[in-house]
Amino acid sequence: VEPQDELETLRARVSALERELAERTERANAAVAAAQDRSYWLDRWHIDLNRVMATRSGQLVFRVAKVARRVARAVSSIRSRTAR
Amino acid sequence: MSETVTAVVPVKDGSRFLGQLLEALAREGVDDVLVIDSGSRDGSQHTARAAGATVLEIAPVDFGHGRTRNLGAERSGGDIVAFLTQDATPVAGWLDALREAFALSQQVGAVFGPHLPRPETSPMIARELAEFFATFGDAPRVFGPGDATFLSNVNAAYRRACWEDIRFDEVPYSEDQAFGRALAGHPLWRKAYHPGAAVLHAHDYGPVEFMRRYFDEYRGLRETIGHVEPFGVRSAARDVRTLVAADRRYLADRPASERARWTARSVAHHGGRKVFSALGSRADRLPAGLQRRLSLEKRGGPAPPPLVHEEASLDFRGYAGIAATLRDGQAPLLAPYAGMADRERLHIAFAVPHFDVGSGGHNIIFQLVLRLERMGHLCSVWVHDLYGSRPDAVLRREIVDGFAPIKAPVYSEFDHWYGADVVVATGWQTVYPVLALDGCRARAYLINDHEPEFFATSVESEWARLTYEQGLYGIAGSPWLRDLYEERYGGRAGTFQYGVDQDVYFPRPVERRRDTVVAYARAVTPRRAVPLAILALDELRRRRPDVRIVLFGDKEPPRTPFPFEHAGVAGYDTLAWLFSEATAGLCLSMTNYSLMPQEMLACGLPCVELDRPSTRSVFGADGPVSLAGFDADAIAGALERLLEDEDEWARRSRRGLEFVRDHTWDAAAVQVERELRNALRVREA
Repeated sequence: VEPQDELETLRARVSALERELAERTERANAAVAAAQDRSYWLDRWHIDLNRVMATRSGQLVFRVAKVARRVARAVSSIRSRTAR
Repeated sequence: MSETVTAVVPVKDGSRFLGQLLEALAREGVDDVLVIDSGSRDGSQHTARAAGATVLEIAPVDFGHGRTRNLGAERSGGDIVAFLTQDATPVAGWLDALREAFALSQQVGAVFGPHLPRPETSPMIARELAEFFATFGDAPRVFGPGDATFLSNVNAAYRRACWEDIRFDEVPYSEDQAFGRALAGHPLWRKAYHPGAAVLHAHDYGPVEFMRRYFDEYRGLRETIGHVEPFGVRSAARDVRTLVAADRRYLADRPASERARWTARSVAHHGGRKVFSALGSRADRLPAGLQRRLSLEKRGGPAPPPLVHEEASLDFRGYAGIAATLRDGQAPLLAPYAGMADRERLHIAFAVPHFDVGSGGHNIIFQLVLRLERMGHLCSVWVHDLYGSRPDAVLRREIVDGFAPIKAPVYSEFDHWYGADVVVATGWQTVYPVLALDGCRARAYLINDHEPEFFATSVESEWARLTYEQGLYGIAGSPWLRDLYEERYGGRAGTFQYGVDQDVYFPRPVERRRDTVVAYARAVTPRRAVPLAILALDELRRRRPDVRIVLFGDKEPPRTPFPFEHAGVAGYDTLAWLFSEATAGLCLSMTNYSLMPQEMLACGLPCVELDRPSTRSVFGADGPVSLAGFDADAIAGALERLLEDEDEWARRSRRGLEFVRDHTWDAAAVQVERELRNALRVREA
């Protein structure tokens, strides 16, 4: 292999790797920015949900919410069945 | 399941009531008990262990009211930590009442209850206790920010998270009062009182011991909060008479002989208390030996001055970072390789100083980030704040809502730093962390102003100056800044021209007035030369009393010798309407030029600026902006010409619109991109 060819091959490889890195960084940046957009209000109010959910009252609220969601789903399912 | 409760009891020779106390805690059902003994010689440790308590022994010299209680909270595991003194005995229902008070709100961080007299307590103390705690009411209550700050660790319980947030000051006395004050000013935590969370408690001292205790107590108050008990013979006599009468009323149902005996004790008690509390407040003036004799604690010597303990603050880390960078030098850059400057997509990291919405300098940065993203580059924003920090998500939202809808993630500080092709410092404070970052191929410096001029001679002015000597590739906001960077500091730089958001700043459909001068009067920014602007406007008003003056840029209207209309910190849209209606604009820049004249020009408004190297380098000596010398009369004259000479006005207005046509943020971003590639090219070379 000629040194010039090898150099060109290596340059092409570097370009490909740089492109790959840019794509990965783009995806990671987008994921972080989206997560930041989602957690805005929690951060704004300095609420650490992990810490809240580790408390007994947090767990209680979570269980109540689960039950309420189940009830709401059941009601909505009954409604849709009776509407048919 | 309810929250677990740990009781912490600091003890020294407390065996008299300790057994009762531990028995009561077992009856109440606390989850565990920690006794911290600081050198008892009366077998208190044995009493505690026999009752099943965990005993932690510390040296007497290590005891401190705040320090030891912090230690107790650290060494215990309850969700709620209840502190009791060794002579306090919880009454039946104490624990249930504490739980009930905490359940009033998740914000309740501390609960205290009343102290009830023991049967043998003297009537003076018993009455005072009853009257004092009656002031908190007979039902559970949560205190608000303006309420009494009283809190007593004789009988108080704390939610662990609240204690972690505030902790006890390491003061010799009254750590509970300091906690109460901190709680009253806390944005989250509140204090509650429950009359059922009572303890039997009274200091059963003889008359002399009582006096010595008052001496200690008031000396402590002086040392912790600076309180000096007032003293006057007549007022003291009047107070003692009132207090003795109150004691006699309290004793109304006792036999006459008992009342007479207690009346004499009451006179001695209250009189002595007045004297000893006044002495305690002034203990620093007494000889050490006398202090020791008057003190129950037997503490003498010069009293420490009333200092306030402060926790270590993270706010200083920015300055420490500057010092570290100057000491340790720059982090090495990644090795360059041929062609890196010409890659299609670059990862550009912007290090940004603290900002508030409305900042012109930050608007420049984020407009550029937005356009560079649109050009296909990957950007990330790193906010470096010397004086505090906001969460990442909050910073990002403030940028997106207040400046430009960028796609980049935003980070507070550099803890998650992951490298970049070019990292760009955008203010003097950010240069130092940028120099310490690794994983980059080049460092650049977006220079929007000559920042050492922002400060009087100071640490900041010197550190700002030093940033220009660190070899970063400069991207200057005007030819003047570029020349300064290269000629004075020996740096290498390119330049870019500021854009105007022409979707916002354009001539609005409103009739142009012929009598209005609108002036940028942001007095908190000294380089805007507001006093000079006001002098010029005053002169203009003297020449043309009919002129209408509108000032904007500051929340507070400035003080002026003439009447004016104030637009406050006007939003972009309001400004565009204002500029479209006015006759002449005034904005003075003593260092680099402001965005404001361009925004005025974009609305067809001719304006007056200072004739400085920076403004001349951008607008030219006789360009769209009328440049005036550093003189109120000259500025007034330039404004007057715009008001009176319609041809001059029309010529400047037309040239202004022509000038801004090419000054778009898209064009600015192309120039900045070129300079970023130059920064990489310099490294390739």
